[in-house]
Amino acid sequence: MPHRLEKRVLLEHASEPALRTLDGYRRLAGGYATLERSYKEMEQDEVLKELEDSGLRGRGGAGFAMGKKASFLPRGDMPKYLCCNADESEPGAFKDRELMQRNPHQLIEGIAIAALAADAGHAFIFIRGEYDEQADILDQAVAEAYEAGYLGTNILGCHRDLELVVHRGAGAYICGEETALLDALEGKRGNPRLKPPFPAVQGLYGGPTLINNVETLSNVPHIVRRGAEWFRGFGTEQSPGTKVVSISGGVKRPGNYEVELGIPTRELVYELAGGPEDGHEIKAFFPGGSSSPVLTAEEGLDLPYSFEAMAEAGSMLGSGSIIVCDDRVSIPHLALRTARFYHHESCGKCVPCREGTNWTVKMLERMVRGEATPMDLDVVSSVQQNIIGHCLCVLGDSMAMPVGAMVRKFREEFEQVMEDPDLVLDPHAVVRGAPETLGAST
Amino acid sequence: MSPGGREVTITIDGREVPAVEGEMLHDAARKGDVEIPYFCYEPKLGDPVGACRMCLVEIEGIPKLQTSCSTPVREGMVVHTRTEQVKEAQNSVVEFLLVNHPLDCPVCDKGGECPLQDISYGWGPGKSRVIDEKRHFEKPIELSPLVAIDRERCILCYRCVRFSQEVSEDDQLQLIARGDRTYVGTFDDRPYVAPFHGNITDICPVGALTSYTYRFRARPWDIEHAGSVCTLCPSQCNVSFTVRDEKVKRVVARDNHDVDDGWLCDRGRYGFEMFDTPERVTGPRLKGGEADWEQALEAVATGLRAAAGIDHTQVGSNSDAPSRVAAIVGDASNEEGFLVQRILRDALASPNIDSRPSRGPRAAVLRRLAEPDVSAKVPDIDEADAILVLGTDPLHSSPILDLRVRKAIRRNGAKLVVATERPTALDGGAAATARYFPGEAGLVLSELGKCLRGEGHEVDLMAPLADVLREASRVVILWGERVAREDGAAEALLEVAAALGLAAEDGSGLLEVPDTANARGLREAGCLPDAGPGLVETAAGRSTEEIRQGLIDGEVTHLVLFGADPLRDFPDTPAWEEALTAADFLVSFSMHENATTAKADVVLPLETHAEKDGTVTHPDGRLQRVRPSASRPGDIRPNIQVLAELASQLGLDTGIDSQPTAFAALTAAVPFYNGIGETDIGGRGIRWQETSSATNLPEAGPASGPGSPDPPRSLSADPGPDAPLTLGTYRDLWAGPVTELNPPLKFLTPHQRLEISSQDAQRLDLKNGEAVRVSQNGSSVDAAVLIKERISPGTVFMAEGVAGANANALLNGGPVQVKIEKLNEARA
Repeated sequence: MPHRLEKRVLLEHASEPALRTLDGYRRLAGGYATLERSYKEMEQDEVLKELEDSGLRGRGGAGFAMGKKASFLPRGDMPKYLCCNADESEPGAFKDRELMQRNPHQLIEGIAIAALAADAGHAFIFIRGEYDEQADILDQAVAEAYEAGYLGTNILGCHRDLELVVHRGAGAYICGEETALLDALEGKRGNPRLKPPFPAVQGLYGGPTLINNVETLSNVPHIVRRGAEWFRGFGTEQSPGTKVVSISGGVKRPGNYEVELGIPTRELVYELAGGPEDGHEIKAFFPGGSSSPVLTAEEGLDLPYSFEAMAEAGSMLGSGSIIVCDDRVSIPHLALRTARFYHHESCGKCVPCREGTNWTVKMLERMVRGEATPMDLDVVSSVQQNIIGHCLCVLGDSMAMPVGAMVRKFREEFEQVMEDPDLVLDPHAVVRGAPETLGAST
Repeated sequence: MSPGGREVTITIDGREVPAVEGEMLHDAARKGDVEIPYFCYEPKLGDPVGACRMCLVEIEGIPKLQTSCSTPVREGMVVHTRTEQVKEAQNSVVEFLLVNHPLDCPVCDKGGECPLQDISYGWGPGKSRVIDEKRHFEKPIELSPLVAIDRERCILCYRCVRFSQEVSEDDQLQLIARGDRTYVGTFDDRPYVAPFHGNITDICPVGALTSYTYRFRARPWDIEHAGSVCTLCPSQCNVSFTVRDEKVKRVVARDNHDVDDGWLCDRGRYGFEMFDTPERVTGPRLKGGEADWEQALEAVATGLRAAAGIDHTQVGSNSDAPSRVAAIVGDASNEEGFLVQRILRDALASPNIDSRPSRGPRAAVLRRLAEPDVSAKVPDIDEADAILVLGTDPLHSSPILDLRVRKAIRRNGAKLVVATERPTALDGGAAATARYFPGEAGLVLSELGKCLRGEGHEVDLMAPLADVLREASRVVILWGERVAREDGAAEALLEVAAALGLAAEDGSGLLEVPDTANARGLREAGCLPDAGPGLVETAAGRSTEEIRQGLIDGEVTHLVLFGADPLRDFPDTPAWEEALTAADFLVSFSMHENATTAKADVVLPLETHAEKDGTVTHPDGRLQRVRPSASRPGDIRPNIQVLAELASQLGLDTGIDSQPTAFAALTAAVPFYNGIGETDIGGRGIRWQETSSATNLPEAGPASGPGSPDPPRSLSADPGPDAPLTLGTYRDLWAGPVTELNPPLKFLTPHQRLEISSQDAQRLDLKNGEAVRVSQNGSSVDAAVLIKERISPGTVFMAEGVAGANANALLNGGPVQVKIEKLNEARA
């Protein structure tokens, strides 16, 4: 049974293996009824209005209002596209994997309805190459949906067409950035494009393109079925709805938990995820994946888990992925590990990210080797400041914000490590990987 | 991207700056005298990429700094380029750029002319905080035989890669790997060999890409830059010579949008290395051996005087007999051509002068082709709705136009149609192509005219091309001069122009791609058998081929060749061999020793385009100035002085003793050059069509002519299995002294190939690379087989001017049919 603090909408029936099949989705979740109704009875603007009224914010990281984004697409006869961003690559995030694995049809139905709102004739699911199993599941589900007439030409006899292609990425973090995703999908080197023009105006193959995250699109059938008011009944004014939160790191029960936005963070970490292992304390946590500035336990645990509260605290909800660091974690090593990830994944197109990530790694490596002075800490901080806001896309900021926050909030720990690197008994006691389980229910 | 928007006013650093809505902020700032530093931005390379982040500025109302290279201007925009926030950003970008840059400025060729150096100095923090190890690459390594790459210096601005992908479209340069491990390279480390690749050394903002021909040859403080014009082909690109100790060390582009768009081909960029080869003619020479100038000129004057029967006490001939003297001008300035024709016409009373390698239309047709209304200028290509490439491959004949056409397609969505004998480099971007048999250009033109007038059939070869052209309002026709070697073809071209209404549409017209660099200028200066200066009709003389026949028949005995090498460049080498052997007296003005100078009684040296002072006329009518930049080696004298001295020895007082007097005489003699002064030409040139003298173009005369040729056979007809193979020839970009006498370019010297369709190759059992002997009427040339899919069955192609295997040897003035035998069997 789900925990009393969980509010399962997207993950309802998720523990039933049959949900993966078209029959199971229809039987258990009343699947595709909303698609049928929207295709047969609704106009583009009605769907769009429902989505706009719901206040659904993008679940991929930026938190931009989904309906509003869809409304930016120009009208006209030009080819339009919808891309589902399933390139879930942020360290700490593993909720899209679960959603695709357990309920692929919910996503497909969401895509089909969103395509109606965007007037898109072609849709793509860009899934990261490592999600091989999930891609196979999607392939199968898409084939079923085609066979059942929910995809393809003249869907349900409504004279509307939608082609849906599952595209496997080749394994670059940057391809989760929406414009790099478009380049990669077009067969080019996956580098972010300049914005503007935004994809809504000029995206895939130059056509207007709506790009949304898996979880965002999975919400769409529910909103259209039960209405914007129902959706706004969950969460807070500025963060309506439920959210699948990935919790990992130093907790007893890591996993995905679907909760109403605005739930106290402490309840998420302690009651759902079981809190720190016995004998340990929570030192800090990333509230929204490894690219969000870390919050100390004192700063963050008592905040409501919402877009606005996390932003106000100087961090962000991001993709909704909490990484918990207990007292065994060496923050300087964590900073280095974070920086190394973004250095490795920087596409190299723009200067501050390419050179800033590489320089930061070199400086942090010197620090944990004890070959730095406190003055280097100032340089590290200033380099992070010089990256933020100066890059072509947000990848540079994704390193600079958490690393900057770690140096700022745990300066003493850096100074100690520089003084005596051997103090850190286990530099690898950083965080553990993503679990295979679904929250507390299994 | 073309900002045809309305005029707006924006505020930059508190100052109001006029701008055009939609143009990039960076451009508006530059026009308003606000300098914003940048590395990657270069509008010529296409859309901005925003990679270097150097041009960040603050725009009121937008919280984050924005890249000015990619921000379109809006009315009322308030921009700050000098706030603390902007300065911090600039400081940090420079600091980041130098994190991995080796700072080896003292040994870097770019030092002193390096944007990274300048911007670090002007906008950088002035101190370094980097103590960590920099990234390393093996360096320098060969990116190509001509360009070295130093990947440690590279700041990954994408310029070279964008050039390769979006300008020259060779797609060879790529960014490889990721993040700070990214480097510029080619697939599998293959050498980057492409006809325009030298441009990447011009656009590289650091010392990462340097030319092997210039590495360690000079520093910026001991060189001078001398603007001039490259006359190695009719493109006449504007160049700047880098001169040290009076020698050319480098050629770089001198951006002239009206001519070259700031690009150069490798022929123009590296061609200067043939200036000082041992084969250079560095002084006058008589058959017996070296001579001084007085002896040489005396010998020439005496020889010519005798042939013309001149009494040297009076000017002109005192005989009524047809003149036995003739002259052919090849590579020459307008003034040189003008002087040669004056010597011929006025001192030797001979009308036998031509400047064309083969045949060409009558003067009356040339005047119609020169009408400003039907003429296009180079920038018209940019804005054209449709472009017809007819009977020429710009890549080989006027390379820079190849880039221009690609740009029109890529940036402006122009539709390209190609009608040629031989497949062209532009075919891939064409909406429709038509292949015709060598010698049938006139036929396809009359067919195209019919299609355009609605008289054609849907199945006609030219119908798809006509469909594209008919839809377009602005049409530019790039046509090869050799099309007009066919009787009636130029007239048919004019009919096509009329059917398209080119004269009435601004930005539409014809643009010739001539066979020689200054073909238009020499024709207009009077080097034509039936027209004097200004295309004014004169008593008819012999054309190039008639001169050749006259030499063979003994009717012409004395020949002056000025910058012309018939044994390499003119069709029908055996006939020219016979003609030059038969000549009683041969004077060859030549830059290099060659087969023709070997036969000459007197050899006189010519200046290169780096040494010469003079004007040339671009195929679109633009008069441009070639300026002397380098010293003349040996005992070379200015060509103008030599010709003026010769005229005076022949009793003709030209009043010319220098370039200014020669130019004044030229502009006075050519009605439509009247009044054009050296300052009008300046550094960018001036089209005579755009001066008030344009109306002085002589009347075209009646439009009649031989008329359109009768279609003898269907163009698309299957030639049948036993049909003979018709030879077409083309001038290869790399054939000639520019590669053979040029150590750095030698590797590009072409070998003769027989290009053949796969059907014919199969029929004749030929394989790629196989050695064959191609013969026609007793002459033969050896070649290697190259099977090309886009060649029409029944035709084969070979290159002209290839040393030792020159396709000109097989020509006889018209389409020829060749026999092909396998070489190994022939030997057996």
